[in-house]
Amino acid sequence: MLEGTPLKITFELAAVTTVLLFFVSIPLAFWLSSSRSRVKPIIETLVSMPLVLPPTVLGFYFLLAFSPSNSFGQWLDEWLGIQLIFSFPGLVIASMVYSLPFMVHPIQSGLASLPTSLKEASYLMGKSRFTTLYKILLPNIKSSLLTGIVLSFAHTVGEFGVVLMIGGNIPGETRVASIAIYDQVEALNYEAANFYSMILFAITFTILLLVYLVNGGYLKKFWR
Amino acid sequence: MNKVKGVISGIEVSGSLSLVSVHCGNRVLKSIIIDTPDTLGYLVQGADVELLFKETEVVIAKPGPLDISLQNRIPATVFSISKGELLSSLILNSELGKLESIISTAAVTQLKLEPGKVVQAMVKLNEMMLSPC
Amino acid sequence: MITAELNKKLWSAQGGMELALRFDLGTGESLTLYGDSGAGKTSTLRMLAGLLPPDSGRIVVGGETWYDADKNIDLPPQQRDIGFVFQDYALFPNLTARQNLLYGLRKGEEDFLEELIAISGLGELQHKKPGQLSGGQQQRVALARALVRKPKLLLLDEPMSALDHQMRNQLQDFLINAQQSYGLTIILVSHDLGEVIKLSDRVAVLESGSICKVGSPAEVFMQHKISGKFQFSGRVLHIQQEEVVWIITLLIATNVVKVVVSEKESRELQVGDQVVVASKAFNPILNKV
Repeated sequence: MLEGTPLKITFELAAVTTVLLFFVSIPLAFWLSSSRSRVKPIIETLVSMPLVLPPTVLGFYFLLAFSPSNSFGQWLDEWLGIQLIFSFPGLVIASMVYSLPFMVHPIQSGLASLPTSLKEASYLMGKSRFTTLYKILLPNIKSSLLTGIVLSFAHTVGEFGVVLMIGGNIPGETRVASIAIYDQVEALNYEAANFYSMILFAITFTILLLVYLVNGGYLKKFWR
Repeated sequence: MNKVKGVISGIEVSGSLSLVSVHCGNRVLKSIIIDTPDTLGYLVQGADVELLFKETEVVIAKPGPLDISLQNRIPATVFSISKGELLSSLILNSELGKLESIISTAAVTQLKLEPGKVVQAMVKLNEMMLSPC
Repeated sequence: MITAELNKKLWSAQGGMELALRFDLGTGESLTLYGDSGAGKTSTLRMLAGLLPPDSGRIVVGGETWYDADKNIDLPPQQRDIGFVFQDYALFPNLTARQNLLYGLRKGEEDFLEELIAISGLGELQHKKPGQLSGGQQQRVALARALVRKPKLLLLDEPMSALDHQMRNQLQDFLINAQQSYGLTIILVSHDLGEVIKLSDRVAVLESGSICKVGSPAEVFMQHKISGKFQFSGRVLHIQQEEVVWIITLLIATNVVKVVVSEKESRELQVGDQVVVASKAFNPILNKV
C-alpha cells in the first residue's frame, strides 16, 4: 500500500520544527556567543546532549513528562487543553529539542566568528542589542543561518527514535516516513519501503547539495 | 654625542640669546642658546645640566697657549685611536670623563697623535647644547 | 569637558597589570595616549566608551556622569555620546559605505550625511561595500561614520597605522578640520610620533598602566628638553657604517635626510625607530630657492 501521507507529515513536521527552532535558537545562540556567565557551560552541554544521547532516551523522558498521568501532562491537559503525547504538537516540541544543536551550533559559531567590534560599533551608534543582531550580525552570517536551517530540517526528516517513542504510530497524525519504512519492512513490503526510502534519500541529498553549493560559492558563478 | 655633566654658574642674557656658563669639575664651559630663563625652565643658577656636543665638533690641538677663538678647552690624553681612510675616531681621557672626537686621518698623522699623547679638546660655544638632568 | 579616573586590573600574556590613571581634557582639545603595546591604551579607550567595565573610578563628560563606581552609575555605550574609530574599522560588511553612515544617522539630519560624504571624499565610493574598498577608503568611511551622530567625544584606536604617508596626511587634515568645525574633543591612541605632534594638543605617555608623562607633544617628546632649536621627529630608514662613523638615513615628514652619529649611538638605533633630530639653530644654512 503506497500512500503519500507519511511523507507529507514528515515534511510538515520538519518545516514547522525548523521555523520554530530558528526563532528560538537565534537568541540562544546570541547569548551563548557573547555571554561569560557561569551557567553558560551547563547550557552549552544541555544544547549538545541530543547529539550523543540515544533518541530513545529523549523520547522516553518526553513520554513521561507529557503523559497525562504525570502532573505536568495533566496540567497541560487541564489548563491548556493540549495533549502532547501521541499528537503532532508533541512531535514538534520533541523534534525541536532533538534538532536543537543542529540549529544552535552553526549560528553560535557564525556569531562568534564575527569581530566583536561590529557589535560594539553598533552599540556606540546608539543601537539596541536587538537592532544590532537583526540589522548587522545576522545579515553577516547568512551562510551559517542557511546551514542551521538545512541541517535542522534534514535532521528532523531523519528522526526515528523520538518520534516512535512519543508520537506512536498513528496514520495521518504522527506516522512519519521513517516509521512508515520500518513498518513496511516488518511487513516484508520491500517495494513500499523502497519508495519512501528513495524519496527521503533524494530529497535530503538535494537539500544538502544545495547548501554546499551555496556556501561554497559555486552558485555565484551562475548568477554573475 | 659627548655628554658632560655640570652646574649652571652664570647666565648672560641679551635679547633672546643667553650665554650660559656651566661649571664642570674645575673647568667652565660655555654654551650660547636661543633661550632665556623666561623661555627655558631649567635655565637657573645652580641647576644640574648636561652639555651635549657632537664628536665631529670636537677640535684637537696640541697643548700650550693658542691664539684661537675657541674658548671651551678641555685638557685630555689620547686613550685610543681607530683610523679610517679619511676619518679617525679618537677616544680621550679628560678630567670630565671620556670624550670622543672625530677628525681627519690626515690631521692625526700631521699632529703625530698616538695613545698617551696630551692634547686639548676644544668645542665652539655655539656647538654646545644644554639638557636638564 | 572630561574628567576620568579609571582603575582596572588587566590580565595579559605577561601577567596581571594594574591600570590606574586619571586625566582631564577641555572641550575641543585633543589628547594622545602614547606607549608600548600592552600599556593599557586601548583598554582606556574601551572603558571610556563603556565597552569594558572599570573596577572603580569615575567618568564625567560635559557635566554628565557616565560612570561612577561609588554611585553605581554605568551608562551603556548606547547612551554615551561617542564616535569610535576601531583599529579594524569595524565597518558593517553587509552595508554600503553610505548605509554604514546612514545606520547611525539621527532623524532629520540627511543634509549632514551629504556634507559628511562630501568632505570625506566618499561621493563616488558611497555605494560600494567595505569589501570593495581599499584600506585608506575604509578608513575614511570609518572616520565619517564615527562623526555621523555628531558626537562630543571622538575616540580613535590607532586609526592611521595601516596607511601610507600621503593618505595619512590627508586624513589627519580631515580630522583637524572636523575637530574645528564640530568642536570635537578627541582622544586617540597612536604610535606615530609625527601624527601625535600634528594631531594632539596634549600627550599622555602610558607605561604599564599608568601615565608616566603628560604635556604638550613638544614637552613630552623632546625628551631631554634639549635646548637645540632645530628639532624634528623622524623615522630611521637605514643605518650604514662608513669608516669610524655611522650614517643614519632618516625620513622626516616626506624628506629623506642623513645624520652622522658615533658607533655608540648607532648601536642604540634600529631601522624603524622614531627619533628626535636636534641641532643648534646656529648650524643650518638657508638658501632661498
